[in-house]
Amino acid sequence: MSDVAIQMESVWKKFQRGERHDSLRDLVPSIARRILHGARPAGELGVDDFWALSDVSFTVQKGDALGIIGHNGAGKSTLLKILTKLLRPTLGSYVTHGRVGALIEVTAGFHPDLTGRENIYLNGSIIGMKRADIERRFDAIVDFSGIGDFIDTPVKRYSSGMNARLGFSIAAHLEPEILIIDEVLSVGDYTFQGKCIRWMQDLLQNGTTVIFVSHNMDAVLSLCSSAILLDHGAVVSQGELTKVVGDYYKRGGRWSPNLLPESSARTVAFSASQGSDVVVEPGERLTFTHTITASSDCELTPGFWVSRGDKPVVDTTYARMRGHPLRLRTGETASIDWSMAFNLPAGVYEIGHHIGNSAGGYHEHSSRACIVTVGDDPRVKGEAYVALELLEGAVERPALHVLPSDAGVLR
Amino acid sequence: MFTDIKSATIEVWEHRELLEQLTRRDIKLRYKQAAMGFAWAVFMPCLIVLSGLIIRFAMAQISGQTLARVDIANIAIKGVGWAFFVGALGFATASLVGNSNLVTKIYFPREVLPLSSVGAQGFDTSIGLLTLCIILPLLGVRLHPSLAWVPLLLVLLVLFTTGVSLFLSCANLFFRDIKYIVQVVLMFGIFFTPIFFEPAMLGPRGAYIAMLNPLTGILEGLRLSVVEGHNLFYPMSVVVKGVERVAWEPWELVYSGVCAVVAVLGAALMFRRLQHLFAEYV
Repeated sequence: MSDVAIQMESVWKKFQRGERHDSLRDLVPSIARRILHGARPAGELGVDDFWALSDVSFTVQKGDALGIIGHNGAGKSTLLKILTKLLRPTLGSYVTHGRVGALIEVTAGFHPDLTGRENIYLNGSIIGMKRADIERRFDAIVDFSGIGDFIDTPVKRYSSGMNARLGFSIAAHLEPEILIIDEVLSVGDYTFQGKCIRWMQDLLQNGTTVIFVSHNMDAVLSLCSSAILLDHGAVVSQGELTKVVGDYYKRGGRWSPNLLPESSARTVAFSASQGSDVVVEPGERLTFTHTITASSDCELTPGFWVSRGDKPVVDTTYARMRGHPLRLRTGETASIDWSMAFNLPAGVYEIGHHIGNSAGGYHEHSSRACIVTVGDDPRVKGEAYVALELLEGAVERPALHVLPSDAGVLR
Repeated sequence: MFTDIKSATIEVWEHRELLEQLTRRDIKLRYKQAAMGFAWAVFMPCLIVLSGLIIRFAMAQISGQTLARVDIANIAIKGVGWAFFVGALGFATASLVGNSNLVTKIYFPREVLPLSSVGAQGFDTSIGLLTLCIILPLLGVRLHPSLAWVPLLLVLLVLFTTGVSLFLSCANLFFRDIKYIVQVVLMFGIFFTPIFFEPAMLGPRGAYIAMLNPLTGILEGLRLSVVEGHNLFYPMSVVVKGVERVAWEPWELVYSGVCAVVAVLGAALMFRRLQHLFAEYV
């Protein structure tokens, strides 16, 4: 048995713009046309035809996680529909080795009039579970979904969140060899999303092959081992994860971090003193602890940034504030406290962090590590400032407070 | 050709639990929030029998005869069979389009959707058949050895219905006008199928034309073997107004059987060949 889980070879898929004939009245002229002009060969485009996928090839090894990224309409869903046998390629072929399971529209099989319990059996068998499997995992499914006592209530009485959570929980217990996931991590609240991410990491550790489609680059970067970027149905970038994600940002016209192919440092933890989703008064001070570990000797410039919408508000680095980079040797861990007074207009801010090198490349770049909401208080007006403090440097030891006045960098 | 049918059979067999779940769903949904509950299952056949009786009563009035108890039994048994055919087709025709959220989202052999409609209708019909088992003896029907034909006839009825269901569900997915055509055809189909009358009443030529309908052989077979106690192996004739007329020919059964098998195989083949287009066209 080979180690290839999925092999796609030059797959093309033709779609038609506009309406097809779907009543008998329209059929007759279309047949007449076909007889007069002859059927069009599969590889040719008619007036209203376009290629939803053109010449897509890739291979996924067993146990790998492939990210499929691209902007809306790039052909991601079409590709997934081909992989899940819903569509047949116009040209080209593909093979899959192993049972394919999909987490796409997890509530499609639900019937609103049936209870949660009935829907578990129904939806479970629709996605390909055996009754014995469903019975065995029934308690686990109910547990994971957090539906609890509502299991005997018709799902039409469920909130949309409960509905989605139950659907996800059923699909999550399918235990396929190849799992296809399309933007389902946005299901449920924060706690449930955390549960889903842990579950996916467990799957990957157990050797499940994963195809992951998402617009959330942080999730793609943390879960996948390689990626392909689709644009107008064609693969425009594939292979190295960081390169593909970079290309995605470039195509979107957004600034993109120049990620290094070989990362020698990574963030072990990034936590806020008051949790990851905080509401503060203007001027209130928060401390974020950034723990970094090095896998080889390196000079690093850890960074801290705050953005609102897509616009950066504060962006500063260790080197800019201290005048020299952070030197770490193999295996060393440093912990940096970024302390910031949120003297900012009321609104929702995203806190991100990165680890750069002195040449402008990044070992790691992450947005939305935390969300800070600044409340509205008209009395407070002022400048944003960030104070940097090094708590436990493996190399650098002296604790240092940079004065607020010269520390902030406002863009 | 045979590989297609083989793969369809294998795949549906592998998904038999799904078929069962969908059938259960269809049955549950028919009776959930329905005030009449299981009475629905006998409502439709009762209506057919009632309308048949009115017609027979009118016919009896004109010809100056009386309506016999056995006529009720004749119409009841054929009415239950017809109700199965009509009900299954009505639900199956809409089964693929009605479940388009499943057809476009999740892969499974699509045959299970029309099959589950037939299955759910089969459940209703079995309630109807049980009711018949109670009513028929009251109408003077006795046990005969010829009842042994009933299982075969029911199998043929299910096969033929399944074939037509597969064909219509698939056709309706591509052309939405099919369901309107089906509605109209089923509404008047009862007059083109000998339910309220026997083929012999149509005269010698008329009887043969009526026998071209594959359902004639099956439903008449049911009537003759249950009510008349006739062994379908032999032909039968009745005397109408002093003239002997054909009421049953064994080849009718062969013809119906061939039609049923051809219908189910042909429809399964067409369904299999087209199902990769379903998600795109639905």
